[in-house]
Amino acid sequence: MSGGEQSDADLARQSKLGDRDAFAVIVSRHGPALYRYAYRLLDHPDAIEDIVQEAFLDAWRGLPRFRGDSSLRTWLFTLTRHRVQRHNTRQRPAGSIDVDDLADRIPDTAPEPVSRHLHRTLLDALDQALQGLPPRQRSAWLLREVEQLSYDEIATVLHTTSTVVRGLLERARANLAITLKEWR
Amino acid sequence: MNEKSDDDMLTEAARMMRRHTDAGWTAMRPGLLDRARRAFRPSAAVRGRHEFGDFFVRADLLVSQLRVAVDAVDGARTADVICATGDDNVLTEVTVQIAADFGSYLPGLAIAVHAAAYATVTGLLGELAPPASAVRTHVHIGDITAP
Repeated sequence: MSGGEQSDADLARQSKLGDRDAFAVIVSRHGPALYRYAYRLLDHPDAIEDIVQEAFLDAWRGLPRFRGDSSLRTWLFTLTRHRVQRHNTRQRPAGSIDVDDLADRIPDTAPEPVSRHLHRTLLDALDQALQGLPPRQRSAWLLREVEQLSYDEIATVLHTTSTVVRGLLERARANLAITLKEWR
Repeated sequence: MNEKSDDDMLTEAARMMRRHTDAGWTAMRPGLLDRARRAFRPSAAVRGRHEFGDFFVRADLLVSQLRVAVDAVDGARTADVICATGDDNVLTEVTVQIAADFGSYLPGLAIAVHAAAYATVTGLLGELAPPASAVRTHVHIGDITAP
């Protein structure tokens, strides 16, 4: 292999066979992306360390069953999303509506203006704007624009179709543009 | 003033987010790596027998030891290890799939891998190790990687 860097497929194969050094490389390689993804999906970001840790432990335990139908990276995002979703569901009061279930059906509304955050950096403003998006739009946008997954890969992570992903992204981009325009 | 379009600004913000490593990740990484190294992987038990009696070895430990032994054979890399157990958790069969370095003499490599795998299961499980004939080596030609 060129450059001496092991492929994800190789690392997954070695980890599956119990190579903890290989798994440590996976953690270091994908940890930053999983962290920023989970952080922005959580209702309560103070749980971030537990969520990322549990997602990686799920990966370690699940690797013997990982067949490589999707890429390792896509699979890790899927595990992380499951952990976040479980956590958010547990934290919401009983009887509350799961926005994830409704987001594709209800009309979009513009997120809250961020005019009070004029002095924030662009990154902070984007974070603020993202919080105004329904979770599935937010997830799709992060996976596409920040993590650069393909539509098909995002569909795998979100357990949906690439057509739905396309719609989620269109609405997310429109909503973010509105919010950031107010910030600007 | 050269004002950026909304799309440009979003693209730039996404790029900034991608390049930014959260301080929280940097802080938690050592602890996570440590935890990952100690993490337990639920696994079936495989029965072994030594002079003091029977004992159990976790199957994932057996697989891990086989990987280490096979990877130590010059020209071989473990692609998969499949173990089968029968009654009373006794190991009945081991199949080792390997990727071979380009140019390797495959029959000789398979013999060396078989010997390494058999020595490992015998060393770990004692007299309950499967017979040499039940330890199989499959050399799978799936790809060619330039050396």
